[in-house]
Amino acid sequence: MTADFRLFLNALKDVLSSRRIFVALFLMVLPAIIGLIWKSAAGERFEALESYNTLAAGLVFGFILTILSVIYGTGVLSQELEGRTIVYLLTRPIPRWRILLAKYLGAWLAITVTVSISEVLLALAMFGTKLSGVPLMSDIKIIPLGAAAYGALFLLLATLLSKPLSYGLLFAFGWESWVPSLPGGFSRWSIMAYLRTLAPHLQETAESTTETGGGGGGDISEILMAFNPVSIPPITAWFAIPIITLVCLGLSLYFFSVREYSPKEEAS
Amino acid sequence: MNVDNTIHFEHVSRWYGQVIGLNDVSFTIPKGLTALLGPNGAGKSTMLKLVTGQIKPTTGGIAVLGEQPFSNPRVARNLGYCPEIDNFYEDMTGRQFVELMATLSGYKGQDKTQRVQNSIDRVGMSDRCDRKLGGYSKGMRQRIKVAQAIVHDPKVLVLDEPLNGLDPLGRRDMVNLYQQFAEEGMCVLISSHILYEVEQITDRILVMYKGRLLAQGGIRDIRKQIDSHPHRITLTTDNPRKLAGALLLDDTVISARMPQDNHRVVEVETAQPEKFYSNLADIILDGGFEVDVFQAPDNNLEAVFRYLVSA
Repeated sequence: MTADFRLFLNALKDVLSSRRIFVALFLMVLPAIIGLIWKSAAGERFEALESYNTLAAGLVFGFILTILSVIYGTGVLSQELEGRTIVYLLTRPIPRWRILLAKYLGAWLAITVTVSISEVLLALAMFGTKLSGVPLMSDIKIIPLGAAAYGALFLLLATLLSKPLSYGLLFAFGWESWVPSLPGGFSRWSIMAYLRTLAPHLQETAESTTETGGGGGGDISEILMAFNPVSIPPITAWFAIPIITLVCLGLSLYFFSVREYSPKEEAS
Repeated sequence: MNVDNTIHFEHVSRWYGQVIGLNDVSFTIPKGLTALLGPNGAGKSTMLKLVTGQIKPTTGGIAVLGEQPFSNPRVARNLGYCPEIDNFYEDMTGRQFVELMATLSGYKGQDKTQRVQNSIDRVGMSDRCDRKLGGYSKGMRQRIKVAQAIVHDPKVLVLDEPLNGLDPLGRRDMVNLYQQFAEEGMCVLISSHILYEVEQITDRILVMYKGRLLAQGGIRDIRKQIDSHPHRITLTTDNPRKLAGALLLDDTVISARMPQDNHRVVEVETAQPEKFYSNLADIILDGGFEVDVFQAPDNNLEAVFRYLVSA
């Protein structure tokens, strides 16, 4: 077993640690449970596709993907720093960038698998086993891209900031909630906007939410959007997400190689 | 700067914002066992972090085995580090932890298994290495930290307060082990803030205080450097008054006095200890004195440290 693969497995093991696995399991089943409650509450008025799109956009992508990316992405580094075990890694004869890359890949796989399972469970809860015509595959397809981009971005925060989790949460639930809905060119600065472009049913859900005045978009947004409509072409999104991932990951690996990451010593 | 098999600092300073951690420090550590001595906050851990490439110097140059150590896998290949921090991957067993460190050092298969077992055997943890680290005593944790530091046969071994938490028997075993490493040709650097501990380990020390390197070399050599401070010697005899009188006639003696709490002791101060020692035998023999106890407390490390810090 190579050092890189061992680090990758260790990163996965960290994610599957007893404390975190319960959070992951809860997040996996949460959309499905909410979907089932919605289904039973709506009765005959229940629209499976509309409910699925709403929950996939708002809960799976808007919450579970982002929160797991924040936790696992920043945790790649901050867990070692807070546990002060990083000293064992940094004094081994392995380039620092390889340590971080292996751990990032472990976190990426964990985010992808957890969010994908969550999405599949949601689809099963909404449609049963009759999944033909359900945009499940287009969602599953973009989950790894979203996990890669968000994971790399939050990893970058972890390499640069002392409290990356706070800033990550602020970005995930502040910036990413509002910016895609803003008119003008703001949406180009949001990873979520690119993901919604690649899964158009998520975009439609977001727009319909704005049109009905829900989701906090508001009337001013509608007016500004009408004057300055901006839509991201899918080809741009296909390029933008890998570029964001590569830039953030590259910077993370660079900073991790040149900056100091040393835990404070215990007072003797 | 290319000094193989040694640790070499050249005018190294390290600042933490407005606070200085290490102040213009220069030294060379050869093969063998060297102790880094100083109270808490003296800059020992900063120095060890610089040696192990965890942090960079603000100014000056560092060479470990001829190369700068920061983020340098070539140096890490030949450097073992036992940190002071008591943190581990608690859900691993001792063996799994040492195996992980061996894997990260690039070892695989049978070679790795053999190395891990050898390291565990050397630190005396063979019978306890398959228990979880979370259940280890402080002493066991210290031993496993040393095992992971030696699993890749480093040429330089850096140990930060490695005797903390060990019982007296464990201390003796581990000190013997560190001395064996030095005899095998390793450059072993041990930090400690406990004076008597260092005296038992080695004669070669670096003394640090408030980020400065106060002295380096053998304990006796350092004592010789402190010429300005008189050297104290105590003699216990049956006739202290007469002995004190005879000693005062010697031109190397600054003063001789008898403490009020012990009427059999003479305390002598001299600025020329070597010459005094050579004269002392004649003084005793000529006067027919019976000397029961002879002590030179200023030769011990505590006195050296006290003088250096007060200087």
